[in-house]
Amino acid sequence: MLHRRFVGRVLVQSRRQAAVLALCTALSLISLVALEGFAAGVRRTLIEDARRLQAADVIVRANLPFSPALTAAVEGLVEAGRIAAVRVHEFYSVARAAGGPATLLSQVKVVEAGYPFYGAVELAGGRALAEVLRPGTVVVEPAVLERLGMAVGDRLHLGETTLTVAGVILVEPDRPVDLFSLGPRILAGAADLEAMDLVRHGSRVRHRYLVRVLVEAQVPAVVETLSRAALAGQETVETAGGADSRLKRFFDNLRFFLGLVGIFTLLLAGLGIQSALTALLKDQERTIALMRALGATRGFVTTQFLVLVVLVGLAGTVLGLTGGALLQHLLPRLFGGLIPAGTRLGLEPRALVEGGLLGVAVVFLFAFLPLYRLGEVRPAAILQAAEQTLRRGPAYVTAAALAALFFVGMILWQVQDPRIGLLFVAGTLALVGIIWGLTLLVLGGLRRIPVGGLVLRQAVRGLFRPRNATASIMVTLAAALAVIFATLLVERNLNATFVQSFPEDAPNLFLLDIQPAQQAALAAELGPAAAFYPVVRARMEAINGVPVDRDSERRRRRDNLARTFNLTYRDGLLDDEVLTVGRALFRSDWPPDRVQVSVLEGVREMHAFQVGDRIRFNIQGVPLEAVVSSVRDRTRDSLKPFFYFVFQPEVLAAAPQTRFAALRVPAADIGRLQSRIVAAHPNVSVIDATAAARDLGRILRRLGTIVRFFAAFSVLAGLLIVVSSVMATRAARIREAVYFKILGARQAFVNRVFALENLLIGLISGILAAAAAQAGAGAICTRILDIGYRAYPAATLGLLAAAPILVMAVGMAASRGILRRKPEDFLRRQDA
Amino acid sequence: MLTRTRILVWILAAWILACSPEPPSGRDDRRAAAVTAETAAPVMVAMGDSLTAGYGLDPEQAYPALLEARLRAEGHRWRVINAGISGETSSGALSRADWVIERLQPRIVILVTGANDGLRGIDPDLVGRNLRALVRRFQKAGALVILGGMRMVANLGGDYTAAFEALYPAVARETGAVLIPFFLEGVAGDPRLNQADGIHPTAEGYERIVAHIYPAVLGAVARKEK
Amino acid sequence: MAILEAESLSKRYRIGPREISVLDGVSLQVPEGQFLVIEGPSGSGKSTLLSLLSGLDRPSAGRVRIAGRDITDLDEDQLAPIRNGTIGFVFQAYHLVPALTAMENVMFPAELAGDPRAAAKAQALVRRVGMAGRADSFPHQLSGGEKQRIAICRALINAPAVVFADEPTGNLDSASGAAILDLLTEVHRERRTTLVLVTHNPRISATADRVVRIADGRLREDRSHAP
Repeated sequence: MLHRRFVGRVLVQSRRQAAVLALCTALSLISLVALEGFAAGVRRTLIEDARRLQAADVIVRANLPFSPALTAAVEGLVEAGRIAAVRVHEFYSVARAAGGPATLLSQVKVVEAGYPFYGAVELAGGRALAEVLRPGTVVVEPAVLERLGMAVGDRLHLGETTLTVAGVILVEPDRPVDLFSLGPRILAGAADLEAMDLVRHGSRVRHRYLVRVLVEAQVPAVVETLSRAALAGQETVETAGGADSRLKRFFDNLRFFLGLVGIFTLLLAGLGIQSALTALLKDQERTIALMRALGATRGFVTTQFLVLVVLVGLAGTVLGLTGGALLQHLLPRLFGGLIPAGTRLGLEPRALVEGGLLGVAVVFLFAFLPLYRLGEVRPAAILQAAEQTLRRGPAYVTAAALAALFFVGMILWQVQDPRIGLLFVAGTLALVGIIWGLTLLVLGGLRRIPVGGLVLRQAVRGLFRPRNATASIMVTLAAALAVIFATLLVERNLNATFVQSFPEDAPNLFLLDIQPAQQAALAAELGPAAAFYPVVRARMEAINGVPVDRDSERRRRRDNLARTFNLTYRDGLLDDEVLTVGRALFRSDWPPDRVQVSVLEGVREMHAFQVGDRIRFNIQGVPLEAVVSSVRDRTRDSLKPFFYFVFQPEVLAAAPQTRFAALRVPAADIGRLQSRIVAAHPNVSVIDATAAARDLGRILRRLGTIVRFFAAFSVLAGLLIVVSSVMATRAARIREAVYFKILGARQAFVNRVFALENLLIGLISGILAAAAAQAGAGAICTRILDIGYRAYPAATLGLLAAAPILVMAVGMAASRGILRRKPEDFLRRQDA
Repeated sequence: MLTRTRILVWILAAWILACSPEPPSGRDDRRAAAVTAETAAPVMVAMGDSLTAGYGLDPEQAYPALLEARLRAEGHRWRVINAGISGETSSGALSRADWVIERLQPRIVILVTGANDGLRGIDPDLVGRNLRALVRRFQKAGALVILGGMRMVANLGGDYTAAFEALYPAVARETGAVLIPFFLEGVAGDPRLNQADGIHPTAEGYERIVAHIYPAVLGAVARKEK
Repeated sequence: MAILEAESLSKRYRIGPREISVLDGVSLQVPEGQFLVIEGPSGSGKSTLLSLLSGLDRPSAGRVRIAGRDITDLDEDQLAPIRNGTIGFVFQAYHLVPALTAMENVMFPAELAGDPRAAAKAQALVRRVGMAGRADSFPHQLSGGEKQRIAICRALINAPAVVFADEPTGNLDSASGAAILDLLTEVHRERRTTLVLVTHNPRISATADRVVRIADGRLREDRSHAP
């Protein structure tokens, strides 16, 4: 039985609470929809990227010529009209300009017609590859022309033949990414392969079949057929998307992280819904009590409010889906630079339906308890303004268990790896449990200790107002703040690890393998900007006499002690270094025949080195035992070279060494400088990191924006919780304000008490949140994102200051109406 | 382009975090501690690159360890010290020759270097100068030098490979070093004797190599034991 | 001298198009130390009169003076020191601050006034009303009679010139009610505080110095008893 007019009245009377309820619902949906859009975009992009990266659907590789069985299998599929295939040979060769002495090690790629299946080779002048790359010609990267002093139209010796340079490559879709690529690209046609005579016995060639599967659904079948024909251990068959690239793993991690933020937003929004509904029902308590007193059944009352919740929930859902749909237009701008232009971030109908269902599920999940408790309200108790405590009966337990199950399900669905999911759930539960325990502890302590100062005491007493769910509010708030803090901390750590590695003044040109005798000449050439570092390569054999266990070291996910280390020597600290243990880099009080070594803080992640530990190195067959004299740390993680182990010059000055140089060069000058250096010092390898550094910086700043964008949803949800919790304690606060005034308190006193109370709630929640966030963010960074973790105490303190102020501001804004009440209005209502 | 840079930046990031321009090199020599005790035995230094270090294998499986075992089995109490460094060019070898001489005072040096120069397309003239200087420096320190010859992969082009291969006999002729015409004879190019990368020998490949170079080594040992 | 003066007090409420007159031209002078009872049937306007006299509400017309000061046009903050120091309230529904203990409730007005002897004064008062043993209880742990005793202590702690009591025994059984009434009259005698009490209990009227009767928003009867 529905009393429409009643529902309408309640909606109008409690419109503020209803608005918060609708906003919470909308917020959870918007964030889910935005996430879904992001995930779908990334998924599409990764598949397209992977294809373009390989220029094919399926790739067959070998370091030796393909076996007859495999060749037959490929040809069979081509004849059956199921695939198209091109053969690709790739190898290094020394090219020479016709009529000149200049030679250049180049990376030659010989392709058949049809290459590439995906993406395109872009040539200067905009002509198509098929048009330009005719028999007898090659197209080359600009560096080939630059380094050989040639121009388009000139002739180039390659192997046993001479070819004409017909074009300049601007973009090559499937250029293997090799930072240490030893030479620029020459792209040649298969027709000239034989004349080159470079691919034969004794050649080192990467053989590939690029396969395009004409019907996408047949990719697995094609892979299966080819894999059966392939020689195990020699020929590999893989799909373009199959490679478990670092990039894919990173995006998986990012999506997972954002997914968790989304789930938390959902959880917070749910708690907001519960809290707003509780506030609404409290607002209507007298009405409900009167209805009950007049004989309304529990079913009747519940029906009215259920309808009301459905109406408000629907409004929120519509609002959320509309907002989400509008957001889809914003997403491409947000993700621009990460997702190629033109990627469709459209919202699919399925996502809308899923979003709608989720919204309804969350609303019901969190509306259940307050609605159920409606039935427990005893009319007499309310009418007589007596205090009534609600017991946590089976309904409470059921509601909590359902909500917990729902979120565990969501998390598992998001992670798709049950082990990590359960670990995460367990971690979250433990964190919430700890927060809960600590909250009770702090509140218990506050209740007992005598507090000086009238205002402060009133504020503290306010926390224990009867029927005040201070503990629950604090836990909720702390959880919300913890998510926000943790998000910010994780973002900062991501930033620190990547973005800050590329400050504007970071070196962009690196020179390897400089011989000591070449340093002076190079220093003159490069100018004072170039920093030279001696590099002595060595391996670690033992620590305090215990041999390094190479097998277990190599199984570590990150850096390990089994690799070859670059040692260096100098007397002092670098600009960006500080000592963390010890007063000087080296000890003057140790006997001069003792070899000393200073270690970098980062090494201690691999082994907890202490001052006095003995490390035995093997320096090119020569054993050397050194004692740890100090520990250094870097003040910022930038691209500047750093060294784990620093020795005194006299120890290693005689050791075989090379010099490593890093400098910053204007991007436009790099090409010329590079050819000058290589011409004068052919043994020196030059690495140009400019473009990569620039793009990395840009991409990571984008990532930061995305993370902040999604974190903003949980911030909003947290604030809505504050608003609704103030609303839930509205009646009690009004009463208190009136009492204070009757007893002669000024408005300012009342304001101060309430402000301080909100401040206390914010502060305690903030401290608990900061602790939880540190633990959570640390775990996420080190376990899931696989990056180092820093605590950022200053930023944490900043958050700790901001949170209470924000809570106070929002709380005061929400209770403005309350504080201005005149005593008589209230007393009249009480007595009516 | 975007795709490429994106991958590139991740590799770059990984590189920065590790600050190691090269992959972890081969397994370490666990015997080093035991061996240092035996200072009395004459020292033979295996000087070279990853082919000497035994890239991708246990140190016990690389040729210096196998060679020492065989020498000892036949009653020649020599220490064979693996002074191989993965990725090293002839320039790198030259720059550490003095260190090795000073610290290890080798009586015999087996010098196998230049492959990385070749793979980087470095001017054969420079490689030749380095080889000559290396051999002379060891000889000046009283060591007998066995020079392991290298051939370059055919894809670099006939001009280059021809010039490269000619270096080793020329240097041996000029300096009087003992020449092993091709260090990887019978091993290079055979998929069964090389690891998946096609250039680094397997344990079995090293056994072949030891068998191949053993007569030359034995000759040198005989001359030094006189 | 009159501690409390009301001059032609009227109070009208507008509900929709209708205007309802609750109080109409009531004038009253209360000399210092008087025990005044305002009587009248339900809805007669007696509680409204008390609200206007005590400054809890503002009259539609007329003026109110307490201790010679015209409080009619004062705003909430200007009223605060008067409510704190000059006036004490005792309500039918007690209106104790739920979050504070009995003791803290009593101390509160003195603390607001910055009185350093707040605790000592409160202790004395609580002992005086026989509640010393329950001083640390919270309001919801007290019976109605106990709550009202604490409310009386709270009303008295700043030694106000006037104590307003609005049906102080209305929520109590007759025994507790009688005890509260006795306490109020005793305290009134001890301290010579002016006491303005709204009730429709004739037994109380008998003990008062003066009884005024309100009906239909007008002053109908004003009789004094010889002290």
